[in-house]
Amino acid sequence: MSDPSTDTGVTRRSFLRTSTVLAAGAAAVAAGIAPLRKLGQFSSVDEFLQKHYKELTPEEMKTVLSRIETEVERQYGIRPHVRDYKPMNGVEYVYALNLTRCVGCRKCVHACVAENNQSRNPEIQYIRVLKMPNDGTFDLEKSDPVYTAKAVPEAGSFYMPVQCHHCKNPPCVRVCPVKATWQEPDGITVVDYNWCIGCRYCEAACPYFARRFNWSTPSIPKEQMNTNMSYLGNRPRYKGVMEKCHFCIQRTRAGRYPACLEVCPTGSRKFGNILDPNSEVSYILKNKRVLILKEELGTLPRFFYYFDV
Amino acid sequence: MSEESKTSLALGTLTVVFAALAIAFARVPAPVPAPPRQPLVVPANLAGVLPPGTVRISAAQLIKSGGDTSGLDCYACHHKDQPPVIKVEADRRIILPKEHSDLIFGMRNCAECHPADKPVKLEYAEDGTVVVPEAHRGLLAMAHGRNFRNENCFNCHDQDQLNQLHTADGTKVKFEDATLLCAGCHGPTYRDWEAGIHGRTSGYWDRSAGPIVRQQCASCHDPHAPAFTGLIPMPGPHFRARDK
Repeated sequence: MSDPSTDTGVTRRSFLRTSTVLAAGAAAVAAGIAPLRKLGQFSSVDEFLQKHYKELTPEEMKTVLSRIETEVERQYGIRPHVRDYKPMNGVEYVYALNLTRCVGCRKCVHACVAENNQSRNPEIQYIRVLKMPNDGTFDLEKSDPVYTAKAVPEAGSFYMPVQCHHCKNPPCVRVCPVKATWQEPDGITVVDYNWCIGCRYCEAACPYFARRFNWSTPSIPKEQMNTNMSYLGNRPRYKGVMEKCHFCIQRTRAGRYPACLEVCPTGSRKFGNILDPNSEVSYILKNKRVLILKEELGTLPRFFYYFDV
Repeated sequence: MSEESKTSLALGTLTVVFAALAIAFARVPAPVPAPPRQPLVVPANLAGVLPPGTVRISAAQLIKSGGDTSGLDCYACHHKDQPPVIKVEADRRIILPKEHSDLIFGMRNCAECHPADKPVKLEYAEDGTVVVPEAHRGLLAMAHGRNFRNENCFNCHDQDQLNQLHTADGTKVKFEDATLLCAGCHGPTYRDWEAGIHGRTSGYWDRSAGPIVRQQCASCHDPHAPAFTGLIPMPGPHFRARDK
C-alpha cells in the first residue's frame, strides 16, 4: 500500500544502503585521522597559526610566551618564566678558548646541558671536546671525542672543545629553506623552534658539527629544569627540530657570562663584547696567538682559540 | 608562730634553695670558652674582591669553626643541616673521599699549630733540601716549581711569623695580598691575570649590569703545590641504548 503524500522516495532498502555506506565512511575517516590525536597533546591551533619570530608584534609575542609557559607546565609539570631577550646596541659577542689551559674535563659540556634544558635521554650536548694528539699535526681526523680516562689531561694529548662558532658568514643560515635560523645583530645565530621543519640541511652544512637534531621528544626531569627561559634559547624544544649553542642567550643578553665559562675550572674560556676595546676578548685578539678553526672555509667565526705563549 | 620556728623556717627554705642551686650548677658544666679563631684572611677586607666563600682555610676547617660555608658549592650534594662526617687518620691527616680527589684542600692555617711566639726552625738534609717534618706528611705537599730551592718555606713566609709573607728582597706582604707575591716570579701570568685572561671568572661581562667575580692565585692553586693534579673527566657524548 502506498500513499503518494507520504512517499519521500526512500525505500527501506535504499535507506539501509545509504546509512551503511555513511557509517563505514565515517569510521574510515575517524580511523584515518586517529594518529592526529597523538599530536594534539602539545600542538594547538594557535601554535600552528603562529607567525615567524621576526613578524611577531610585541603583543603577539606576549601571547606566544604565555602560551609556551602553559605548554611547558602541562608537559613537564613546572611553570617556567619565558622571556624574549633582545640584542643590545653596540654589542657583538666573541668567545675565546685557551687551548694551552684546557684539560678536557668536560665540565662545560654538562653545565651547558643543565643550563639550556637539553634532552637528558638521549642526552643532547652542544659542546664536543676533541682529544687531539700532541704530535704537531693538528689533524682533526686523529681526534677522539669519546675519550675516557681516570684523570685528564693525559700526557701526549691536548683538548679542543668545539661548539657553535657563530660565524659571520654562516653556511647553516644560508641553506635553511624556511629561514628558521638566522643571525642576530649581536652575532648570535639562533633557531626559531616553532618555525623549523627539521630538514637537517643546516646540520649537514655546518663545518663544526655544532647543530643537534631532536630525534624524539626531549625528556627533562622536572627538578632539573632551568625555569629562566628565553624564546630563542633554552625553552624546551619539540620533537623534530634543530637546536644549537646560542651563547646562553638568557644569560648573556642580561649581561652575564655563559654557563660553560663560569664552570670551567681552568679559566680557559673567555667571553665578551668585541666592540668594547677594554673587554677580555679584545685583549686576547690584540695580544695573544689566535687560531681560527677551519679558517680556510671563510666562515669568519666569532669563536677563537688562543695560546698562552 | 614563735620567733624560733620563724627563723628555722627561713633557714630551712634557704637551705633548700641553695641545695637546688648547687645541684643545678653541678649538673650544667660551665661553658668552656671557645679558642679564639685566627682567620688568615679577614673576609671584610675582601669585599668586592673575592666571593665570601674564598677564605684561605680548608673546607674542613671552615665547617669545623662554624664559618659561613654558603660560598662553597658543597650543597650541590650535601644537605645543609647534615654536615658530612670528616674522617681523620691517627696523624691528623684528613681522609678524602674518592669523589673529592680533585678538590683542593691544601690551604691550611699554619698558625693553628705554629703560634707567632714559637718560630719554626728548618732542618736541612745533606743535599741541601729541607727536611719535611713527619707531622706534615700528607698535610702539606711541597712541590712548588721544579727547583728544590723553591721548597724553602722562608722564601715566602716570614721565619718569625708564618702568617706574614715577604718577597725575595724582604718587602713585607700581607697574606691577603699574596697574589702580589706570586707576581714577583710569575710576571707574564700576573699580566694576563690583571687583564682578566688568566683564571676563573664569573658574574657579568657587562660591567654596567653587575660586577665580575675574580679569583686570587691561591683561590685555585695550592701555594705549596701549585700544579694541578688530574681531573676526573665527565661523561662523553651520550648514545641511547639500543634495547630501548
